[in-house]
Amino acid sequence: MGYFADSFTELYADGAWIDMGMYIGAGGSSPGWYTLIAAVMLVVILVVGNKGEQDSYDKHK
Amino acid sequence: MEDQILALTEQLAAVTNAAQVTNTMFAETYYFLSIPLMVLIHAGFLLYEMGQTRVKNVLSSGIKNLLAFAFTIVTFYLFGWWFYWALPTFPYDLASGAGYMAISGIEYANAIALPWGDSAQYMGPNMGDHASGVFWGAFALFAATTASIASGALIERIQTVGFVICAIVLGSFAWVVAAAWGWHADGWLVTEFGFHDFGAAGLVHAVAGFFALGVLMNLGPRVGKYNDDGSANKIVGHNLPLTVAGLMLIIVGFFGFLMACIILPGEAWSWYADGGTTIYGTPMTLSALGFNIVLACSGGIIGAWIVTKDPFWMMSGCLAGIIATASGLDVYFGSHIIIIATVAGMIIKPCAEWLEGLGIDDAVGAVTIHGTIGVFGVVVLGIFGSGIPGLGAFAPEGTVAISLWGQFVGAVVMFLLGFVPGYIVSWLLHKAGMLRVPEAVQIKGLDPVKVPAQAYPEVMVSPDTEA
Repeated sequence: MGYFADSFTELYADGAWIDMGMYIGAGGSSPGWYTLIAAVMLVVILVVGNKGEQDSYDKHK
Repeated sequence: MEDQILALTEQLAAVTNAAQVTNTMFAETYYFLSIPLMVLIHAGFLLYEMGQTRVKNVLSSGIKNLLAFAFTIVTFYLFGWWFYWALPTFPYDLASGAGYMAISGIEYANAIALPWGDSAQYMGPNMGDHASGVFWGAFALFAATTASIASGALIERIQTVGFVICAIVLGSFAWVVAAAWGWHADGWLVTEFGFHDFGAAGLVHAVAGFFALGVLMNLGPRVGKYNDDGSANKIVGHNLPLTVAGLMLIIVGFFGFLMACIILPGEAWSWYADGGTTIYGTPMTLSALGFNIVLACSGGIIGAWIVTKDPFWMMSGCLAGIIATASGLDVYFGSHIIIIATVAGMIIKPCAEWLEGLGIDDAVGAVTIHGTIGVFGVVVLGIFGSGIPGLGAFAPEGTVAISLWGQFVGAVVMFLLGFVPGYIVSWLLHKAGMLRVPEAVQIKGLDPVKVPAQAYPEVMVSPDTEA
């Protein structure tokens, strides 16, 4: 969690930005964990969405 | 004198640096702007599909199309992009190692295309990387286009979540494998067979069209489409003007799609410092597209008009004109384009009617317009373009040139990459009860059953809707 730098000054050297990821959690494991959470959320949403869809069909058979 | 030389050297370095910054920002902006243009393809497919739907199913068709867009893009981020970089040499190299250009293989894909670990730096904000995001965005929209193409064929009887799963398989796997093999300088179809498909007639359109065919075979026709004697009824959509306007928007979006197929010069990832190329490194300019896209549109409309006199087929002909010529938009002369596009416009309706006669209920003609015409376009380039070098100036010696045989092999591969995954995933969904909407619901209408909104005033109902 959190940003990896306290100041952008340290990321700008010799007239150019340093070539690296510049987002929350860059360089650590948290982006991977968030990716896992996002993937699980999508699977759960599809399962729940399918359940709701089948229920709506069952009511009108 | 030495001071002046030193000052001039510094000025030259500053000017060179500024020119590089301008080139980089231009390239980034160029691909970025192709993305919203390609979103217009989806706006077009949305209108096209909803217009071809009866009133009772309009919103369900729209929801399906929107979800195809959303889920395809998200899953393309999670794993689709990785397949593109990992698989160009597979199965020629069973270990899927790097090809000659050294921008492929599992190791390379692991380094740049996974949203976790060290490669995550190329999958998010990075001030040193002005290319990954815009290339990914353009490819993600190509992926979503494949799902939208298939979507229209399946309207009014496919379940929503079942369709979303089909869209994920198509948009984040099937077409991506086709692109890795045939739309990458290390792809084995390119290096071994000289396969050439500049504008993705095969790897987007044919794959999506035949994926739809595979799904249609398990999905079955809409209730009321066929009579007991096997003859087909015409199920008329509720708004032809909406469909025609949607098709025109798709055409507008294709200008963005095709401009994104050009590799700009002067960057670390460019083929050359001073000229644009195709994805294969062969010469290409936007100006060539200026000639050829609009001629293809016109030829397709004219060909469809003379056979059908129907605005739906005329605009479909416009799309078919682009698809039929897309493989060789970089090498065709304008007159080639007029001939090929006009023929494509002439054959779409007879092909669609032939398919309908086989019991395949393709509601918008997607299998024909994208699948059949996509394959037609790939093979036709083999007839007109045999002998053209397959890769650019930095290619290895002995690179295979474009040939009829290579284009034919590519066409067969594109057919299989579409049809087989489409058939298998829809068969599995059918067995799981997640493919076809029950007949009672089809008769009542999908919107009244599962959409908490109404498309039109209640006085507008489908004549075949049961209360």
